[in-house]
Amino acid sequence: MLLVLFGWLSIFIFVAGVFYRIVKFASMPLNLRWEVYPVPHESKEKRIIGASYMEEVDWAKKPIHKSLWGEIVEIGYEIFFLRKVREYNPYNIWAPSMAMHWGIYLLFTWIFFLLAENVYDIKFLNKIINITGVVSFILGASGCLILIVKRAANADLKLYTAPVDYFNLLFLLSIFVTGFISWWIDPSFIHSKKYIKDIISLNPSSVPFAVILNFLLFELFLIYMPFTKLLHYVAKYFTFHHGLWDDRFKEKDSTIDRKIIEQLSYKVTWAGPHVVGGKSWLEEAQEYKLDETKSDKGKK
Amino acid sequence: MNKKPNQFNDVSKLTEEPLVSYKTEDLMKLPYIDEEPPIEPPKEKWLENYDFSLDGHTDFDIPKPKSEDEKKNLVNRFLNGLEKLFDYQNNWTFGKIFKLSMDYCVGCQTCSEACHTYIASGRQEIYRPTFRSEILRRIYKRYFTKGGKYLKSFVGADVELNYKTVWRLLELSYRCNICRRCAQYCPVGIDNALIAREIRKLFSEEMGIAPSELLKKGTRQHIKTGSSTGMTTPAFKSLIEYIEEDIHERTGRKIKVPVDKKGADILLIHNAGEFLAWPDNPAAFAILFDAAGINYTLSSETFGYDSVNYGLWFDDVEAARIGLRHLKIAKELGVKKIVVGECGHAHKSFCVILDRMLPGEFSIPDIPRESCIPLMWEVVQSGRIKFNPERNNFPFTLHDSCNIVRLMGIVQPQRNILKAVCAKPLREMSPNGVKNYCCGGGSGFAIMNTLNFAQFRKKVSERMKVKQVLEVFNDVLNPDINKMVVTTCSNCKGAMRDAIGHYGLWNKYRILYTGLAEVIVNAMADIPPFLKWEFEE
Repeated sequence: MLLVLFGWLSIFIFVAGVFYRIVKFASMPLNLRWEVYPVPHESKEKRIIGASYMEEVDWAKKPIHKSLWGEIVEIGYEIFFLRKVREYNPYNIWAPSMAMHWGIYLLFTWIFFLLAENVYDIKFLNKIINITGVVSFILGASGCLILIVKRAANADLKLYTAPVDYFNLLFLLSIFVTGFISWWIDPSFIHSKKYIKDIISLNPSSVPFAVILNFLLFELFLIYMPFTKLLHYVAKYFTFHHGLWDDRFKEKDSTIDRKIIEQLSYKVTWAGPHVVGGKSWLEEAQEYKLDETKSDKGKK
Repeated sequence: MNKKPNQFNDVSKLTEEPLVSYKTEDLMKLPYIDEEPPIEPPKEKWLENYDFSLDGHTDFDIPKPKSEDEKKNLVNRFLNGLEKLFDYQNNWTFGKIFKLSMDYCVGCQTCSEACHTYIASGRQEIYRPTFRSEILRRIYKRYFTKGGKYLKSFVGADVELNYKTVWRLLELSYRCNICRRCAQYCPVGIDNALIAREIRKLFSEEMGIAPSELLKKGTRQHIKTGSSTGMTTPAFKSLIEYIEEDIHERTGRKIKVPVDKKGADILLIHNAGEFLAWPDNPAAFAILFDAAGINYTLSSETFGYDSVNYGLWFDDVEAARIGLRHLKIAKELGVKKIVVGECGHAHKSFCVILDRMLPGEFSIPDIPRESCIPLMWEVVQSGRIKFNPERNNFPFTLHDSCNIVRLMGIVQPQRNILKAVCAKPLREMSPNGVKNYCCGGGSGFAIMNTLNFAQFRKKVSERMKVKQVLEVFNDVLNPDINKMVVTTCSNCKGAMRDAIGHYGLWNKYRILYTGLAEVIVNAMADIPPFLKWEFEE
């Protein structure tokens, strides 16, 4: 019964953890504009060369083109093909990265199909489940293994790899390997389906140890992931949409303007000799001092 | 040569020996340059007082801390500042992108090959975009995260923090041009260039430490005198008179440059460095705008004749102060919009950064500001002026200013202009446009000349641009053929002047540089040619 409850707990923590992170990211202050072109929501003509609305005379008076489709395509390329890694990475990590990422995507797809098959009794999903599962385990395991070897063997990558990075890859590897073993002993995933059924029905039954271990590791991973940099797939929404692609200019009394006015009232406690100190950001901008005789000793 | 520190803790070594040292032959090879001046070690007389322990270069003429108390104080102030970078009251401006960049880099090193400094240096590890970020990340984890405190080296929280670490980190933040090509390459959207900028900010806003050209002789001087050049209103006015006389002598036209004209349509604001170093550029604007019948004005108010805002490179407080005063001048003059002259970082300051740095009344629709380049393209294609492209019948290339192109997306109008006013086709560098390489003078480097910093700039940060320029002219290097590098930014022109002088590109290959306005005016059919084929260092 504990295993069944742990299954639910892991899903709850994962959803709550990801939600918590999203709320934390979204509630961070509105940063200054800091975009980098190409910005994919520009018109196709401009997007191709990385151009922007600022190429026009009197652009502030003209309608601004925004293409959600452009963003979706760009995001899709990154998620499904890791385009930038393929084009720019000098360490040949694209293939193993693709294998690892697709291993993860298919792992979640596999779990989703297992749930769907259980809840809706969709028989034709059986074959898809079998294929998705085994492809996920083979791709994921080989990707993780090659990345571990690459990080350990290449001096450049090794310098930037902390033990926790190896741990993360080994953690993922363990899920894929135990998944592969569970497939090896049960090619139709009958026991895996049973395990999922047990969780849904809150009615534990006996399944092979390899299957239990595979799901237990996956559940532990669900709990672990939201609190590590493995959550970069969520963070990157904010790095792109709130940073690199955020080209919105503000208008007086707009939502952005009100937010900026609020942030301009934040207190500045930087201790540099040219900072007046103890003033709001707006006051600091208005009340610069010419005399820098203030002590330059740091203060908190 | 020592290319690779074995571990990040090497930055904490309590030694005066540079962490890396390299010779010219260790750097990226330059085509068509058989010989170049060697890399000189720092002068003996400097070594006692100043710190060269990163790579044998520095711009900081700040005496090294001597006593243990001074060293401890430096470390404590650094930690205070680091804490403030993560505090949203003190760092709402970039706190979000900074925090995400610190927490979610996956260490794939995809950004490395984007960096002209890293590649040109012969791939010295310390110049990799992630190197300085990783050191800061490891310090931050160790001192400010629970994971770092309890799990220490397991999570990479293992950099020893002493005054040498602090100082080398300061130096490292001034080995990046903040061109942000690395951010363009990152699959996760991590901005290592921003991290470099935030390190600079920590030192400036918390400790008052920044290159003297940027803070003391830069923003401080700008605020005190009205211009980072130290130019005062009377000096500006007399320069305008000089420019008017010069225009008359060279073109026969008597043009009155409008200054402080209330209610003009446009406030044109130049980088004040143009008036002193390249007066042909504001002169070309005056000729062009006069011929096009544009109702514009310059301003002689303090701040009104210098568009630069060095705060962009290292200090948000100073950036807001200067920006606010710039915009107030436009309000007082009652102009319909501000047009920024040929200065890359001023473009970004006016049109992008200031947008969210100041409250509603300074919003873009209330005080519109835009680049001069689309306006110049409008003038060129309007038919109001007759151009003779044969005047510009020489091989030329275009250097894209990072701020204008990669960071603002103004890519095509300058190309359209050159196509319209030049006889030969534009030779595009590889890469170009939004993927261009920085000139090597970006983020203040072009004006940083204290101690031996200029050597780093000439040898390393400008090196990639020199390679690109030589390659783009490879079939016309014959010194009988004059060649031109056109650029739309003062800083880039400064870097080009520097590189052309250092590598002898004018003497050997007759390669020169100029602004865009000068090329347009050179093609104006009803006045004599305007470009001067002379090189002045």
